Amino acid sequence: MWTTAFVSGITLGSFYTLIALGFALIFGVTHTFNLAHGELLVLAGFVSYWLWKTFGLSLVFTFPAAILLSFAVCLILQRLFSRLREPLELNSVVVSFGVAILLQNSMLFCFSGDYRLIRVPALNQGLRLHTFYLSYGQLTLLALSLLVMGLLYLLMHQTYLGKALRATMQDREAAALAGINVGVMGVLAFGIGAVLIGLAGPLYGCIQYLYPTAGLQATLIAITITIFAGIGRLHGLILGGWILGLVESLAVVLLGASWREMVSAVMLLILLAMKPHGILGREG
Amino acid sequence: MRFKHCCGIACLLWLVFCCDLLSTIAAPIKIGEINPLSGRLAKPGLEIHQGVELAVAEVNEAGGIEGRMVELISRDDQSQPDVAISRAEELCGWKKVLALTGGYVDSLVGPISEVAKKYKIPYVASASLQKELTRHDNPYFFRVARLRGFVDPLCNFLYEHLRPQRLAILYAGTPGATEFARDLQSCLESRFIEAQIMEKFRPSTPDFTPLIGKLSSLKIDVIVSGGFFADHLLLVRQLRENRVYPKAYLGPFGIAYESFIREMGDDAEFLYSTCAWHPGITEPGTEKASEAFVDRFRNMFRREPNTTNMHGYTSTRALLVAMQQVLRQRKPLTGPNIRQALGELDLMLPMERLSFDEQGDPRHYQHRVVQIQKGRLVAVYPLERATGSMIYPMPQRSNRN
Repeated sequence: MWTTAFVSGITLGSFYTLIALGFALIFGVTHTFNLAHGELLVLAGFVSYWLWKTFGLSLVFTFPAAILLSFAVCLILQRLFSRLREPLELNSVVVSFGVAILLQNSMLFCFSGDYRLIRVPALNQGLRLHTFYLSYGQLTLLALSLLVMGLLYLLMHQTYLGKALRATMQDREAAALAGINVGVMGVLAFGIGAVLIGLAGPLYGCIQYLYPTAGLQATLIAITITIFAGIGRLHGLILGGWILGLVESLAVVLLGASWREMVSAVMLLILLAMKPHGILGREG
Repeated sequence: MRFKHCCGIACLLWLVFCCDLLSTIAAPIKIGEINPLSGRLAKPGLEIHQGVELAVAEVNEAGGIEGRMVELISRDDQSQPDVAISRAEELCGWKKVLALTGGYVDSLVGPISEVAKKYKIPYVASASLQKELTRHDNPYFFRVARLRGFVDPLCNFLYEHLRPQRLAILYAGTPGATEFARDLQSCLESRFIEAQIMEKFRPSTPDFTPLIGKLSSLKIDVIVSGGFFADHLLLVRQLRENRVYPKAYLGPFGIAYESFIREMGDDAEFLYSTCAWHPGITEPGTEKASEAFVDRFRNMFRREPNTTNMHGYTSTRALLVAMQQVLRQRKPLTGPNIRQALGELDLMLPMERLSFDEQGDPRHYQHRVVQIQKGRLVAVYPLERATGSMIYPMPQRSNRN
């Protein structure tokens, strides 16, 4: 039971991280609060589902289409956000809320209100070692989240582009004064965010299920993990995701399934009170 | 001259009165329908809406009610109680509908029923279970479903056929599901069957694996899950992933649907559920009416109907028949008259024999226990209504043919 809870917590945390990555990056660089993040993710999932169901494509081959679509929508969204005036966070909330409703209704029209599931039987198989069991689905989540985090880390720390993105995240005005084109950085953040959304969407349809309003839950997860990790602290996302996943899993085992959200909410509040800049955040 | 003027005015007034009377007689009968057509409950809301539409179309094709056409005014409550209230206010206060129908889940049906009460307009809800709603003194509220219709057959089935050694009752934290779990538990306890674990979870929980670990360590052999469609999608799949194979998995809400079977594929095999109606599973004596409903539905919507469609149809049929009774008795179509006719109703419909008790609950609403076998729903309990025999325990995937 304990090993199951531990494995489940870590994989759930990895899943949370994948969902939150795109949101955290876009928010960090552009300071726009994209409430339509979950809807974009679900839309990518629906595209993947449609290709899988209609043409019998393997899940892996649906990723490029999902990434391409989320890329196109994210660029439109970026154009919308780039026209906003200060206060940017507040105005982007209003605009993205409208976009979220538009996307929800479009998906309802195109894919109906039915719950959809991308079934990949191979992910239901797994590895067993005594009482320890790890399904390939869980393994995929773990590996993919680590891989994406690793690649993102390399991009942010080993390339000039990454350094420019980090500088924009830390201080937009100072970055602009240093000659960094923050507008271009915004477009890049949306582009990379779109790739991450395009990766997470099909997995969402595979690990969870898709329906037009599922995006709200994904957006909430993304916001929670981003706050948990600390705004602009991308490497804190995976740690935040794992801690949150583990706490939720242990709460189910120790206290019962109904305590899950309560415990994670209390933990988040305590963290915000004690470390308002997130688990890896530094003041100042 | 003055006398001529007076006569003229009197004639004019009489003409206006006649025209008004004529227009009232020929005017369509307006009924309102409020359903969640968007938002998180859009799927069942749209299904109920289709059932309502079909019932109205059926009556209008047959020439209306006593020669008067029925006009359906549909509104979307967006799956939000506050919107449901404003839509109900609009229909009752502004559009002046004579009655209301539709509605999915108690959190939306409850507020609508209160508005209906305020305007003295009868409301026949399509899908509502919470006992609290009919305990309120609301003579204008009726519904075509009740919780006992789920609990009794499931409790009897567990007691008479499955006899679980280690039972788990899981349920979503909604009023209806919580009441269901508690009622089932007390019914089973009265028959000396104890649940090893009772666990509440939030609807749309993202991961059931820790809970599955608990069930596995308790060596649970029968799981009753009072979750909904999406919860079953995840829980059943994660049970398989974690190699936990109970002898039976019963989910009263959300499993007995073609869409569930389609999405789950083989993983849906041998799951148990309950349903009030399904094509081929109908009240004895209503086979022809049931087939006619299925044919008409296919023609209108180009797909197979399900039990939620039938709930929408049943509630609207009840309302329309009650209105017909009022007009046949040459009474005016008013809220109190329609309410009285609903109270006296005794109809045989494919889903149920429909008559309401003093509180507005249906007297005869009973589900059948069904099992998914080879991608189809097979009624397995009660035995006199069974369309096949049950397969118990559920074969493990490796032992399936």
